[in-house]
Amino acid sequence: MLPKATPREELLTNLRAAYARMWVRLRGSNREITGLVAEIGLPILTIGAYVILYRAIGLPPTAGAAVIIGGAMIAFWTNVLWNMSSQWFWERESGNLEMYLVAPVSRMSVLLGMAMGGSVNTSIRALGIVLLGIFVFQVPFQLADPLSVGLVFVLTLVALYTMGMLFASIFMLYGREAWNTANLLQEPVYFLSGAYFPRIYAPVVPFALQAAGSLIPMTIGLDAIRRLAINGESIATVWPHILALISCTLILFPLARRALNYMESLGKKEGRLTLRWQ
Amino acid sequence: MAVADFVKSAGESFRVGWKIESNWTDPVLFATYQVIRPLASLLIVAFIVIIGAAAGASQNPTFYTQYLAWLIVGNAFYAFVLQIMLGMAILVHVDRTRYEVLKNIYISPGTLHPYVIGRGLVSVVNGAVSVILTLLFSVAIFNGLLHMNIPLNLLNVNLLILFPAVILGIISLLAIGYMLCAVNIVSNRMEFILGDSVSGIFFLLGGVIFPIALLPSYVQPISNVLPITYLLNAVRESFGLLPTASYMSDLAYLALTTLVTLIIGITVFRLAEQRAKKLGLFDRKSEY
Repeated sequence: MLPKATPREELLTNLRAAYARMWVRLRGSNREITGLVAEIGLPILTIGAYVILYRAIGLPPTAGAAVIIGGAMIAFWTNVLWNMSSQWFWERESGNLEMYLVAPVSRMSVLLGMAMGGSVNTSIRALGIVLLGIFVFQVPFQLADPLSVGLVFVLTLVALYTMGMLFASIFMLYGREAWNTANLLQEPVYFLSGAYFPRIYAPVVPFALQAAGSLIPMTIGLDAIRRLAINGESIATVWPHILALISCTLILFPLARRALNYMESLGKKEGRLTLRWQ
Repeated sequence: MAVADFVKSAGESFRVGWKIESNWTDPVLFATYQVIRPLASLLIVAFIVIIGAAAGASQNPTFYTQYLAWLIVGNAFYAFVLQIMLGMAILVHVDRTRYEVLKNIYISPGTLHPYVIGRGLVSVVNGAVSVILTLLFSVAIFNGLLHMNIPLNLLNVNLLILFPAVILGIISLLAIGYMLCAVNIVSNRMEFILGDSVSGIFFLLGGVIFPIALLPSYVQPISNVLPITYLLNAVRESFGLLPTASYMSDLAYLALTTLVTLIIGITVFRLAEQRAKKLGLFDRKSEY
């Protein structure tokens, strides 16, 4: 019988697993240059359409800046949906899921690695989208406090990828539903998060819509980043946003852990963990 | 291949495609999934216009209701573009890599052509469902619920103008989808990019949410050779949102651009087919 690992050894093993999964994600996503170019260039097409729409209806140029930030944040949501939430589904389809399940590490460390790799990758793409957007559309930014923007941005990513961990657990046993559900969660979330609006928390937007949108961490983070980076507001005005983002993370992380354990156990009982082509 | 055989094979392909796309859930949930995405897209642009109106960006309030009607129709019919481009762009990848059946389809007497057409027609049906439901929901939400009095009367649509334009538009989109399949047959790195790229270009340059006259002048010539531009013009004319005087010229340009895309689509597909056969790409595995 193998000796039981100490908590320190266990932690180190899990950190190594997270690092390994992150490395695969970083390497896999950046080896193909056409993918990188497309992931930066494609959102510019949609952003461009909305910037021209804003101009057509006579809204100020700051609305264009808001849509560029929204477009960049959508890159993170897309990554969370297709590379976090649906990941176990892809792994099962390609026959890798059983290898993750027999590895002597926590499944959460694998998800953590995915989240770290995904957030670094997408940050590179989001920066590209913002810079290209500013260059092409010449929209004004008023960045008075970059450190605050950085803090809110990191908190938003942590909350968002924690939500991705929860979705990954829930999607674990999905067949074709995974593909369709990830598809379904695109435009409705773009709408609810106000990614393409100048501002979601505006009097003209119905309260029910604002409340539904606030269940998505991206909505809260996006509003805070826009206030700091476009309106030039100080961190004092976005304290409620910061608290809400921290609360989201604290609620979603244990939920993700429980959901993962439950779905894995259900998958074992029903024999669905290795089922392909559902 | 005889026409009857072609139609039969395309029909079987349609049946298989429909089952793959719809039988993962019950019909009500499937219909809900079909309508939520285009409806959310519509709500995004509609709310942008509503926010613009609330900000008083323009002095003329009727401008917003007219613009909203123009935008609803463009956005609703853009569902055909989304469904056909995304559906056909991923088709080869799914059948070759995921289900590993592309080689079997290729060596069957039916060949790939009717198969691709049949699967493309599934996207057309999905698109038609989205268009109809989006238009109905739009009227219900903006006129029924929000009392915005948008000049959009679905009972006054001139179907004699609408149908020829939609049929030509669908043929042109299927021809473009054919090209996307061709690219994916010879490549295994573009499947997740192509559909979004082409539909994104059409969204920006096709006059979906703003008139193409607002585009920079150096881009407008590209808009003028896209079938989607004339399709949306003709569709808006059938809804009475544009003067019908230019309908015949829009239909003629649509027919011309459709013919050109059809010729290019078939040629590109045949070339890709030959190359794939030569290099043994029909059973290439690309996901591990």
